[in-house]
Amino acid sequence: MKLRSFAGFVGPSVFLMLALLALPMLMTAVLSVRNCALEMELVTVQQTGPFGAHDVTTQRAQVDATGRAVQTCQWVGLDHYRKVLGLDTAPADNTTAGAQVNAQINAQTGAGQPTEFFSALRFTLLYIAATTPFVLGGGLALALAMNRVTQRLKAVFIAASLLPFIITPVVGALAIKWLFRDNGLVPHVLGGLGVQVFWMAQAWSAQLLVILYGIWHVLPFAFIVFYAGLQGVPQDALEAATIDGASPWQKLRYVTLPHLMPLVVFVLMMHLMDAYRVFEPVMVLTQGAFTTSVQYLTYHVLLQEDNPYKASAASVLTIVGIALLLIPLLRKTWNEQRRGG
Amino acid sequence: MKKSALGQTLLYTGLVLWLLLAALPVFWTVVISLRTYVDAFSAPLKWLAPITFENYRGLWVDREFYRNFYNTAVVTLGTVCISLSVGCLAGYALSRYRGSLGFWLLIIALVFRALPHSTLLPSFYALFDALGIRNTTLTLIFVLVAINQPFTIWMLRSFFAGIPQELDEAAMVDGCTRFQAFRRVIIPVMWPGVVTTGLFSFLLAYNDFMLSSALTNADKMTMPAAIAGAITAESDTLLMQGVAGAVSITIPLIILVALFQKQIVSGLTQGAVKG
Repeated sequence: MKLRSFAGFVGPSVFLMLALLALPMLMTAVLSVRNCALEMELVTVQQTGPFGAHDVTTQRAQVDATGRAVQTCQWVGLDHYRKVLGLDTAPADNTTAGAQVNAQINAQTGAGQPTEFFSALRFTLLYIAATTPFVLGGGLALALAMNRVTQRLKAVFIAASLLPFIITPVVGALAIKWLFRDNGLVPHVLGGLGVQVFWMAQAWSAQLLVILYGIWHVLPFAFIVFYAGLQGVPQDALEAATIDGASPWQKLRYVTLPHLMPLVVFVLMMHLMDAYRVFEPVMVLTQGAFTTSVQYLTYHVLLQEDNPYKASAASVLTIVGIALLLIPLLRKTWNEQRRGG
Repeated sequence: MKKSALGQTLLYTGLVLWLLLAALPVFWTVVISLRTYVDAFSAPLKWLAPITFENYRGLWVDREFYRNFYNTAVVTLGTVCISLSVGCLAGYALSRYRGSLGFWLLIIALVFRALPHSTLLPSFYALFDALGIRNTTLTLIFVLVAINQPFTIWMLRSFFAGIPQELDEAAMVDGCTRFQAFRRVIIPVMWPGVVTTGLFSFLLAYNDFMLSSALTNADKMTMPAAIAGAITAESDTLLMQGVAGAVSITIPLIILVALFQKQIVSGLTQGAVKG
């Protein structure tokens, strides 16, 4: 295919990605070093009430000739970054009792606190680290098990297994929330066993719920990919191993797993990208009270604090974070594609 | 393979346990959606309670949830159509072009695939407010299309790569232009790939919560964004209507899996095997 027709074919797609992904990314960087505020003016208005009229001095936004509010913007350098990273509130002397108390408070709370980006990043990384082994291990175990189910039941089992994966994340997280709510099904059953936990009232259990949701949601994806991979395991190699006296464990370890390795890398990569942007369960299950994630932080600062400039700073830091995480994986894909042509 | 009775029992016990875990949250949501608040969250828990459709009636009639259903339908349909049209062109070209530009495009797309979507929101606000197009369905559709493009072109490229080059070359020898070869010869044999990719575009648009809730106001919100009120749920009625909404959102998805299970499975594995 010639370059000219190639450009024509990919044009619309590239245009959309440039206009709605690349350009906003650049704009975020610009927004993050600025701050805009409405120009206010003092006005005296006459208020007429049932007991007569009187003058009140009040503030209102200045409006230009076209009726739009006038904004003044100024360059603020790295101020927003300092705020998001909690640098300008950190006392110089860390040994004072006050600083230690501050540090403890910061460690316990999420959005709206000085170290908000770090606490968001910390939970995001914890979420990635805690879900990944279960997603990979559970997905593999489920795939191996499903491979031995009789043909008649397979379709039903696979369809049912897919449910947590395709369900709307908000709905899935809500369903888990209602299950674990006070007077919900799980506390009732656990209460029967003598365990009393108020799941959404403390940090550890709320975080555990987010992680459980994550495993529940992504495990089917790993399962399906591994299951498809298992159909391609060379049967003659397995037979040869059996004849040579290999145990089922040895066959798994030396024949099946090496065959699945590229798929493990693929699932790992997808999960890393998706887990880094964990958002819905954090919002639904904790509303940022005990946990925040990096995506939640931007969303929260933008919509609740109504500060697009600080939100931009959080965005830029988020992008830097995923870039650092992905560099090793990108290098690998790069090398493979180059070799494969 | 020899099948020991013990092994078989363990196998099926484990699988049934997993299926219970997989289905329980959804199943229990359906159960409590048919109850009054008092019966749904009672102490001690009630396994059986009188059935009522009041939550659904309140949601669909009083709160006019059909408007959100309509919004979701428009947004989803629009996203799937535009995504596929734009994505097929690009995916086809990427599978046929041999230069290094195509390789670069794919790498950049992969980077965009990893991008957390909320990082785009501050700029979207600034951009769409300046253009005066923030609270419109069309804007939401195009944002979803763009976000979906990286995945779409990777997937379609791998489907197109499975179609032999000789096919379009033969068409072009017979006098077709490149675009005619694409439209009349390649697309007709590409249907399975297009359907599968379309399903995933559908899921992305249908399941989106963040973009709809951030970019549209109540009158243009899709279903997931509209039931977000149930998250904090100040009132019992609102909460129960949220439960009914959750079930309403899930039913089309369950139908989808039942109908298109094969395509979903092949789509999930397509990227893995070739990409």
